[in-house]
Amino acid sequence: MSTTTSLAAHRRDWPKHIFILCFICIELFPLYMMFQVSFKDNATFIRQPWLPISPLSWHWENWGFAFKLILPYIANTVFVAVTGTVCSLFLAILGAYFFARHKLPFSGILWAAFLALMLMPSVVNITPLFMLLKSLKLLNTLWALVLVGIAGGQVFNIFVLRNFIEDLPRDLFEAAEMDGASHFQQVINIVIPMSGPIIGTLAILSFLGMWNDFLLPLIVLRDQDLFTLGVGLIYLDGEYVKQWGQIMAAYFVASIPLIIVFLFTMRLFVRGLSAGAIKG
Amino acid sequence: MAVPLSRQKLLREWKLYFFVVPSLALVLIFAYYPATSAVYHSFFEWAGGDTKQFIGSDNFRRALHDQVLIDSFFTVSVLIVFNLFKMIPSILLAVLIHRLHSDRWQYLYRVLLVVPMIVPGLVTLFIWKFFFDPNLGVLNGLLDFTGLKGALVWLDHLCGWGVFFPNVPIGWLSQPELILPSLFIWGFPWIGAVGVLIFLAGLQSIGQEVYEAAELDGVGPIGKFLYIELPLILTQVRLMLVLLIVGTLGGYGLQLQLLNEYGGPGGRGMVPGLWMYNRAFYAGEFGYACAIGMILFAFILMLTFINNRYVRIDK
Repeated sequence: MSTTTSLAAHRRDWPKHIFILCFICIELFPLYMMFQVSFKDNATFIRQPWLPISPLSWHWENWGFAFKLILPYIANTVFVAVTGTVCSLFLAILGAYFFARHKLPFSGILWAAFLALMLMPSVVNITPLFMLLKSLKLLNTLWALVLVGIAGGQVFNIFVLRNFIEDLPRDLFEAAEMDGASHFQQVINIVIPMSGPIIGTLAILSFLGMWNDFLLPLIVLRDQDLFTLGVGLIYLDGEYVKQWGQIMAAYFVASIPLIIVFLFTMRLFVRGLSAGAIKG
Repeated sequence: MAVPLSRQKLLREWKLYFFVVPSLALVLIFAYYPATSAVYHSFFEWAGGDTKQFIGSDNFRRALHDQVLIDSFFTVSVLIVFNLFKMIPSILLAVLIHRLHSDRWQYLYRVLLVVPMIVPGLVTLFIWKFFFDPNLGVLNGLLDFTGLKGALVWLDHLCGWGVFFPNVPIGWLSQPELILPSLFIWGFPWIGAVGVLIFLAGLQSIGQEVYEAAELDGVGPIGKFLYIELPLILTQVRLMLVLLIVGTLGGYGLQLQLLNEYGGPGGRGMVPGLWMYNRAFYAGEFGYACAIGMILFAFILMLTFINNRYVRIDK
């Protein structure tokens, strides 16, 4: 393409830019409100709801309150989401390796057993799941969330990873076997190093799922020390007299961990989310 | 593809079974057991304790006459229609971004789209709840500021809705008539980052030269959409459609948080999933909740089946 036509073409794009920017501005408006209200007290907010106030009169104590309230919740959520994601992926890699490498007796039946679960909507299970956790004495523990999270991730992760491992060059495995590598060593030294991007994508999906979950924590957790972000925010929403500045600051603090993750893994994030919709 | 092994090799490879045992055990305990338990308990009157009483199909017969449940299926159908409509902005935006000539801007917009996704979903939900607040909320503020409130009151007079009155703040989440409209407005302008990214992935295969050829033939912007872009993202649109329908049918988190466990005033926002949750955790009727779960599962399975049969997704 010659530069002259492309320049003309670029210039003809401006109505599209305006349109897209309008969309994105409205889309980001809630975040703008969250940020600017977080520095106001209720009186200031009623006087001036729309525009930010000067930094000199910012109410930093809102943020102090938010950090004190939200940080323990974040710690709990990080524990659940990180443990859950790491274990879930590790077990899924082992499972996928089993299906991908050899066709052992019963592996067809086992595969069908995993696939059938894709049809089962997890929402419907929540009542008996609660009773199960109760009889396992796991109610009011973070381990309940971790275990259910790991189990919930198995089907999709094994499904994706099996296809991926089957596409890895066979020679690599055969060469490793010649050298006397066990299956476990093959997983550690061949599968994991070679499937970095797909593991990263799956990890982001699992992590986001556990980070954002609030339905299960809501019925499992009772003690305030154990609250994850989801339950903590719901608890905050239930307060009778609302200090909007404090609440908005708390919302913002709750978003910070993912903002940090996002800054480092932007590309993986964008791709992971595209893949995520296939998951359903 | 892996081939069946000889007996001799099998004796050597049997340890491989250990690899699948942990996943299998977890899935059996946390997915298969609850599902079986749900089927079993749907035939019992069970308050969650040790005592339960077999009542045959009474739970299901009760469900057939449960007006709340029947209404909730109507509500969820309306919500599905809403959500289908809400897909349009995402398609529009994906097409617009794809038509830009500059790759740098395309990437920038993509990143900007993902930004709202990094805020926990619950936070977005609560910010919207705050927007709906009658006295302090942004929505009423905006309506007053632009004078649209007057127009609504005038329309109300004209059509006799009895919903909007001058000098009375609009209770978006507290007036029964406004629950469904609020569930519609929620999330405006309804851009789902995941949706847009998926549609963009589908559009990726259209090169700049296709557009240039179309321009030479005098195809306008709408023609380009109908003849070039839409056919290419049809797969993605169908995929999103299926996800949306199944997700809306089974979902209840939105209604639980935006309204309450009774689906807001007048129960106008009650959906089947929420009724199941309500019966189990507020009324302690675990057996009945399991039965509602079964009915919901049957609907979802039926839709999945119809989808596989008639709406083909070509990979």
